[in-house]
Amino acid sequence: MRKSLRYALGLLAICAMLATMAAPALAQDPTEEAGMISGFPTTIEVEAKTAQAAFDAADKGQPDPAWKGKKITIGVYSAGQRGAISGPLYFWRQKFEELTGATYDIVEIPFAELREKIFTDLQTGAGTYDVIINCSNYYGDYIFNDWIIPIDQYFDDPRFPKWDRESIAPAVARLMQWGDHWYGGNNDHDAQVLYYRRDIIEDPKWQAAFKEEMGHDMPVKMETWDDVLEIAQFFNKKDWNGDGDPDDGITLHLKVGGQGFFHFMALSAPYVVIPYPGDPPTKVTKYHNVYWFDPETMEPLINSPGHVAALEMLLKLSKAGPSAMWGWSLGEAWADFLSGNAVLTFSWGDVGSLSQDPAQSVIQGKLGARGIPGTKSPYDREKGEFLKLDKPNMVGNQVGCSWHPVISKYSDEPELSYYFVAWQSTPPINHWNVATGWTGVDPGTTYDWFEPYGTAKIEDYVAGGYDAGDAKAFIGAYQDNFFNYPIFQNYMRIPGTPEMQEIWDVHLSEAITGQLSPQEALDLTYEDWTRIVADYGKEDLLKLYQESIGYTPE
Amino acid sequence: MPERSRVKYLFVLPGIIWVLLFTIFPLLYSLRLAFFQARLGKSETFIWLENFRRALFEDYRFWGSMGVTVFFVVCSVVCTVALGLALAILFNRPLRGQRFFRALFTTPLFTAPIALGYLGLTIFHEQVGAVNTVLQALGMAHPPAWFSAIWPARIAIVIVDIWQWTPFCFLVLLAGLQSLPDEVYEAAYLDTSSGWDIFRFITLPLLTPVLFTVTILRMVESFKMLDLPFSMTSGGPGLATQTYSFYIYLTGLRNFNAGYASALAYILLFVMIMISLSFFNRLRKIYE
Repeated sequence: MRKSLRYALGLLAICAMLATMAAPALAQDPTEEAGMISGFPTTIEVEAKTAQAAFDAADKGQPDPAWKGKKITIGVYSAGQRGAISGPLYFWRQKFEELTGATYDIVEIPFAELREKIFTDLQTGAGTYDVIINCSNYYGDYIFNDWIIPIDQYFDDPRFPKWDRESIAPAVARLMQWGDHWYGGNNDHDAQVLYYRRDIIEDPKWQAAFKEEMGHDMPVKMETWDDVLEIAQFFNKKDWNGDGDPDDGITLHLKVGGQGFFHFMALSAPYVVIPYPGDPPTKVTKYHNVYWFDPETMEPLINSPGHVAALEMLLKLSKAGPSAMWGWSLGEAWADFLSGNAVLTFSWGDVGSLSQDPAQSVIQGKLGARGIPGTKSPYDREKGEFLKLDKPNMVGNQVGCSWHPVISKYSDEPELSYYFVAWQSTPPINHWNVATGWTGVDPGTTYDWFEPYGTAKIEDYVAGGYDAGDAKAFIGAYQDNFFNYPIFQNYMRIPGTPEMQEIWDVHLSEAITGQLSPQEALDLTYEDWTRIVADYGKEDLLKLYQESIGYTPE
Repeated sequence: MPERSRVKYLFVLPGIIWVLLFTIFPLLYSLRLAFFQARLGKSETFIWLENFRRALFEDYRFWGSMGVTVFFVVCSVVCTVALGLALAILFNRPLRGQRFFRALFTTPLFTAPIALGYLGLTIFHEQVGAVNTVLQALGMAHPPAWFSAIWPARIAIVIVDIWQWTPFCFLVLLAGLQSLPDEVYEAAYLDTSSGWDIFRFITLPLLTPVLFTVTILRMVESFKMLDLPFSMTSGGPGLATQTYSFYIYLTGLRNFNAGYASALAYILLFVMIMISLSFFNRLRKIYE
């Protein structure tokens, strides 16, 4: 007995020693362990080569020698070292060290806790994060509470790299500003576009089958949501991919907390937002170019007939795919499309970039994309009726977060922090991030577009792993959305936005799963939003709302 | 006072400070908050009982989440206690491999609920989950839509909760059974050979205090259920699986409405105290 006890203790001691020896290796920064090429944590030579070229081409300013040895902390949502948005921070860190002699820590925060962690840090003045890679809808709270600093004070300082603010799509550039000041650097440019299977939709065999079944040509351009619905219904439950099982028409993420409300936001914009009849058509008035609230009274518009018609359309679309998608999050919906089981989806740029990753996608070379479709029957609140248009009402969107860096008011190193922000915003580095799929950085600047609209070359994307045809379709859809659509949906970024979106998400789910009718769901949303507005203070919010959408009271 | 007597207070002092700082202060501070309109970044306004009035008379989410919670509590407590009791009786006799199975049965108890939730998400996945794969293999053409329909979503959560908490009931009830005096059973076997009568008239009455304790502990735990709906359904579809604690979490930590969240938490505390008191009164009456 005693002997076996000795053996057991001996074994335990050996295990403890091994664990002690292994611990430092395990705790070590994994980028140091990974293969490095030219100071980049990658094993892919072409990636390091193109990144080095971007690094060389980027403006570097004149880093202040006083920064040497300093360290800043960057908070970002958790996606890992090769994950969306957080990945580039790891990728470029060693180069930042080379330039400045300083470094930065990366604090990854799970998405579900991101806002509470950041807001708590700012509210308490703890100052954990110098730079926050934030969601654009946080701005209302930032400005309301004076939590972040304007960065335009550094624009002319020779110490900092110069970046091209004119090249950013105006709709996204507005998200980095408040009033007359810039607060954010350039990074990600979110919008939802419609993705489809080019090989299927353009296949004459399927077009003939569609005509035979539906009695008219397939509306391959998919200019309206009615066209999309018809195509989704036609393909749903047919074995169009030849795997022996029925496949899906469309795939969506509609789970509560699964960001399904973003789908509705993009889909409903053309039903609700109509252009100003005078010049310019983008002018914001009480009835034109507004989506969220009446800009004079702060009354929610969320249960307007246009919104209800849009939700009825979403309901129909949700039945033209697997019913399981009512409980799907983002990843599941994307996986359904990327694994070749759905003809259509509408989502962010991630689908475009993920479709080029052979490890996750079987549709490389088969991707089609276009901007979000419109409707020929938008609702005119001024006239109190649905219009009958010959051409669809097309409304661009910047749905999503457009993740980008801001600097905390509590940062001890605001200048070093701005150096990082500006350097990452320079066109060569930002474009490299866009053209490299795994970064999750979506396109939105003129240097991301192909000629004649921009300066990018198809080769940039092919070097980043894209199929040339897919890149053309994907980038073209984004460029259409940001630069060719006549009007835009406003972005809601007043205080209380996430709370409003949370309850909206819940009621949309209730409508999708048949617990409430679309009208009931949106009426409840209206009541909840009215209460939230009252809680925050209607007058305060009205002023911020008017500022945020560019409305000037007459 | 002799020095030796004074020293003992020094030893107790850290404990007192700990309790004051981390129990009493938060309790009193949150009670104060419950009477204020207190939102992150906004100045606090004293509003008397407005938060309580709004919760009880205006807030459909209050009653909805309370209803969902009561459903989970009833289903989960009844099933875990019944299954735990059945297993405890089964194991309260010599069995081959008893230790192995006892250890095996208790493993879910030591798993983080959030991890079990994500495991549940995998198992009940509507298209590729193990449960629906088995059901389809057994010939069910349309297996339940576990996460996109109201009742299947609720049942999936209850099943995972039962899976996690049955071992707890099993362990405590087994300990209770093993502490029952043998003499009573020996005397009872002289009068009857019916196992059911022995269980009904001997085991159950003697085990009542333990059963009460297990039930009350399970109820308190179930009322706090958050992790499983959070990880499995995010409270959906709609609000179908949003528990009361989940609602408090969203109100306080996601929407930063600290005043209202405090009021909601105090209502839960009041409900729990009432339930516990009625249980212990009942238990006292049984023994009186």
